Amino acid sequence: MNEESHGLPKAKIEKSRSSWILWLIPIAAALLCVWYLCRDLIFAGPTVTIYFQNADGLQEQVSLVQYRGVKVGEVESLKLAKDQKSVAVRAQLDFSAANLAREGSVFWIVRPELKLGAVSGLRTIVMGNYVTVQPGDGARTNEFTGAETAPIEPVKALSIELHSVKLDALQPQSPIFFRGVQVGEVLDCRLSEDSREVVTHARIVEEYAPLVRMNSKFWNAGGINFHLGLFSGAKITAESAQTLVSGGIAFATPPNPQDPATNGAVFILNEKSEPAWEKWSPEIPLHFEPSAVTNKNSWPNLSPQ
Amino acid sequence: MDRLVACQTCGLVQKVGEVPKDSVIKCARCHFQIFHRRLNSRTRTLAFSLAALILYFPSNLYPLVTADYQGQHVQTTVFQGIRALFQHQQYFIACLVFCTSILTPGLKIIGLIFISLTLNWPYWKKTRTWTYKIIRIIDPWNMLEVFLLAICVSMIELGEVAAVHPGRGVLSFAATVVLTLLATLSFDPRLLWDSPAEKRHYE
Repeated sequence: MNEESHGLPKAKIEKSRSSWILWLIPIAAALLCVWYLCRDLIFAGPTVTIYFQNADGLQEQVSLVQYRGVKVGEVESLKLAKDQKSVAVRAQLDFSAANLAREGSVFWIVRPELKLGAVSGLRTIVMGNYVTVQPGDGARTNEFTGAETAPIEPVKALSIELHSVKLDALQPQSPIFFRGVQVGEVLDCRLSEDSREVVTHARIVEEYAPLVRMNSKFWNAGGINFHLGLFSGAKITAESAQTLVSGGIAFATPPNPQDPATNGAVFILNEKSEPAWEKWSPEIPLHFEPSAVTNKNSWPNLSPQ
Repeated sequence: MDRLVACQTCGLVQKVGEVPKDSVIKCARCHFQIFHRRLNSRTRTLAFSLAALILYFPSNLYPLVTADYQGQHVQTTVFQGIRALFQHQQYFIACLVFCTSILTPGLKIIGLIFISLTLNWPYWKKTRTWTYKIIRIIDPWNMLEVFLLAICVSMIELGEVAAVHPGRGVLSFAATVVLTLLATLSFDPRLLWDSPAEKRHYE
């Protein structure tokens, strides 16, 4: 032993950590991969295929599926269907939205719409078109036929049928007035089976349903009424600005009201009102639910979205 | 018998007694580890590069960047980014991105696993040396991986006013970068030419 090394300090010798700890790193990496796979395979919602006549405005991997304004899925791919008559839109729904993929669900594409009297889907001008859904409650399924237009929201309402000689500027969503208050809307207009009349389906919202009696009179309130009298001078009336462009229906109930109208009741839609009808003022109690008056959302199709 | 060693950190000359296997020497003054050869070099390299190989797949399969504009959202994987660059006639940058983020990390990981697995095999010594040389050549190019994100983000940001945030693959991508780095760092090339007796001691 060298003499000079005596004064030198002695290095410490410690037990090193065992090397098996190193193998935790690949194990952790594998666990991370397993977690990724789990999330993709187990926690992925169903993939649904929706057949649309026209998928205009949808983009692969970009467009969303929304329900009540919340993203519930993504459009994965757009392909022409085998018969080339429709477009197969494959959409991946979120795990939480799996219940939307049920029989009876109606999917449609929300596009910007500019109609006389109503504007809807304005947001889609900037954010692109999206697919939305009205959930059904049938069995689970992954194939749907898309609707071309938004389905009519199922609202508790009295549905009636109006027969008229011709269609005067009426169109779906035209309003129905009682004393100038909107109480209902037109659902659709079509020719009767024998083509001699125009049949207009309309609905009156539940709270106002008691106003419609079997002897109520309906008349077309669209456009401008122009009346020129020898002594009264010219008289121009219109129900509301909206009816000028989209047409409308008004009705009145006589002072001796009959039984309330039932679903599917048929009325004649007169071309114009008689002065006597507008003076009718029966007392009909209405039962308002407080929420129904203030909550406009219970009646989405009546107000421009 | 005591040996005399100098600490490579503080320079203190000190005595070292008999060192049993699985032990480390610590400097008497600065407490840094004194080593002649890196401990567990082979195990370390194998562990890091295996972990990197496992995470290499999700980092390239999952979207790296998610861009949200006005309710729409676009997810871009590394590969889609490269394809987009090709479509924009940016061939040079596309090749660069492909090499730095897909090709070289993959080669490096496979090379390191190959070396550390076949280290005790008496044959293929030359092949292992060549592999190591290639790894050393492509090593600096891996550092460019971090620029990829910047390229993806700027590409999408040109499109529209958008919120760009990291996608699901970004965690595994970052982990792959760090793990390949650690794997190359922990590999001691002297292992390639050790005699069998040295191998038993150092690997």
